[in-house]
Amino acid sequence: MITDFPSSPLALPDPADLTAELAEFGGAAMIPKEVRRTIFPVITKEDVFNLLLAQRSDAAKVVDGFAEEYRAYVGARRALPTASGTSSLHLALVGAGVQPGDEVIVPAFTFIATAQAVVAAKAIPVFVDIDPLTYCMSPEAAAAAITDRARALMPVHVHGLPADVPALRALADRHGLALVEDASHAHSAKIGDRVAGSFGDAAGQSLMADKNFPLGGEGGIAFFDSDEGYDRAADYLERHGIDYGMSWVAGAFGSSQLKRLPYYDAIRARNASLLAAALRETGLFTPPHVPEGHTHAYNMYRIGLDPAAVDLGDLPVWAVKEAVHELLTAEGVPAREWQNTPIPCHLPFRERSGFGNGYPFTLNPAAVRDHAPTDFPTIVAMLESTVVLCRELRSPVEWERVSRYADAFRKVAARPDAIRKLVAEREYVRPYEKAARLG
Amino acid sequence: MEQFDTALVLSRVLTSGVVMSIEKNDRELPALERLLTKRTRRSKAILVNSRSAAVHAALTGQDIGHGDTAELPAAATGRDRAFVDWVGVTATAPADGAAPAPAFDLITLTPENAADLASAAADATAPTLVVDLTGLGFGPAAAVLTDDAGVWTRGERLKIFGAFDLRTMWTQEEAEPGLAPGVQFNYRLSPLVAACARMALAQAGTRSAEKTGDTPR
Repeated sequence: MITDFPSSPLALPDPADLTAELAEFGGAAMIPKEVRRTIFPVITKEDVFNLLLAQRSDAAKVVDGFAEEYRAYVGARRALPTASGTSSLHLALVGAGVQPGDEVIVPAFTFIATAQAVVAAKAIPVFVDIDPLTYCMSPEAAAAAITDRARALMPVHVHGLPADVPALRALADRHGLALVEDASHAHSAKIGDRVAGSFGDAAGQSLMADKNFPLGGEGGIAFFDSDEGYDRAADYLERHGIDYGMSWVAGAFGSSQLKRLPYYDAIRARNASLLAAALRETGLFTPPHVPEGHTHAYNMYRIGLDPAAVDLGDLPVWAVKEAVHELLTAEGVPAREWQNTPIPCHLPFRERSGFGNGYPFTLNPAAVRDHAPTDFPTIVAMLESTVVLCRELRSPVEWERVSRYADAFRKVAARPDAIRKLVAEREYVRPYEKAARLG
Repeated sequence: MEQFDTALVLSRVLTSGVVMSIEKNDRELPALERLLTKRTRRSKAILVNSRSAAVHAALTGQDIGHGDTAELPAAATGRDRAFVDWVGVTATAPADGAAPAPAFDLITLTPENAADLASAAADATAPTLVVDLTGLGFGPAAAVLTDDAGVWTRGERLKIFGAFDLRTMWTQEEAEPGLAPGVQFNYRLSPLVAACARMALAQAGTRSAEKTGDTPR
């Protein structure tokens, strides 16, 4: 039988491992190959039982029941369950009143679905740079991009950290724009006591199975802060024959998982805290910045690099990042880039064929730009100087695993000579010089 | 499909721990693709998460997009037509005296007619075949079947993280000229839904009401 039960346990952390030879050069890996796989999401007997029970219920009631439970958790006024995060974003834009040809201001650093949802709404994504500390949409850059055709600001709570919503809300209000959140990374993320998804006029959120709050495969949910917004989105689906409906299988799994979301949140917060403390000791690595009053959901954990702190300031930071990535991977830490170029440099936004024959870009040619990565210097700087952990802080990542991740960072940071050697031997290139990656 | 069988399938997939459509180890989506291509005698399948998504993929697969025209099958409903209009494609009628030549054929499956898929597919003559699996009872689900590799490639590229993106390790740079993605949707089907649909199709016609007790879903 196929099983998700681990084949063997991970050994407890051992101080001797910190000074052992790097795995890249023949030493033992901090996390041996046979125990690297982390099964995600957590699936319990309660999930199985709830799915079996759901068979006996009306499918619509299962989905609506899930949506109502989660709406109450988020604190949004209305919710519309969908088949995916992309469809939820599309409906959030529609609910917020975005019309064909309108401009929607989005960060150029996000998952491509943010911008594709704008195109699905037949509007034009206008890409702007990010804040250098939070990596979320820069309010100043957004302000500079507002034109008479702008209809909405669409911040993304990147990696699970809420964007600067107070500043963006004020900006939107000053210009009569809607505020539409992309909360796909930000389950349980907060500003004060308010949960992401409830900040804007509308919000979309992915619930696919690799998110902090996973549904059974694929799913999403759109939130609206007014009945009018909800009605506009629901009518849109009906009028245009679009089926974005959520399967009862996904909904039943979601209802079951929702009961454990606070536990998942606590595990990620604990693991993030443990890892942050370890990274701060190293000098080379820095943990994510979290503004006062914000609760980071840590859907992803982006780690900064300061080569000068370990006497590598003479090397290009992007080369140091590549070397560090190589060393960490060899140690069994699944560090990644998660995006290597701004979204407007991806193929669909270079070609801009849209629905065909260039629609909807043809509706508003003045809003369309040919972008180079260097148009977004903060994004480029971030991509060149950071590595990312994706699922690696989530339950069921146990103490010994996250401790070993922390030790791997300590072990690599203690070997600037190894980093320098790799930079000298390899022919690394800047992130955006490689093929654009979706994730 | 009997509730016991659905329970068995759901339990099996959940026990495997693999419920993500982008998971390399997923076996459910390829298994449903294999069954559908075998039943319909088409070489390629595009799995999607709704009937409207399948209509979209069938059109996009043939490079029919905004501003273009297409003849729709007689089985197209008002919702199908509204969706095609939303995509920006103008529905046309056959020329006077000409035989119908729709851009795609459309089969809507239910537990009652699921056993007839092979014969219905054999009667279909359009370049692509849309099979709506929603009526099987596991939520919105559908597939596009075709023998044209170009249709398959373009249809898959309509999906974010479609087969093409997964094969290239999540880059989109290797597109051949003319195959670059335009607008993309997350039309991916859940492995759990796919597994249930496959079981329903596999059992179709093999079990009578007398044997199963005629239980619902």
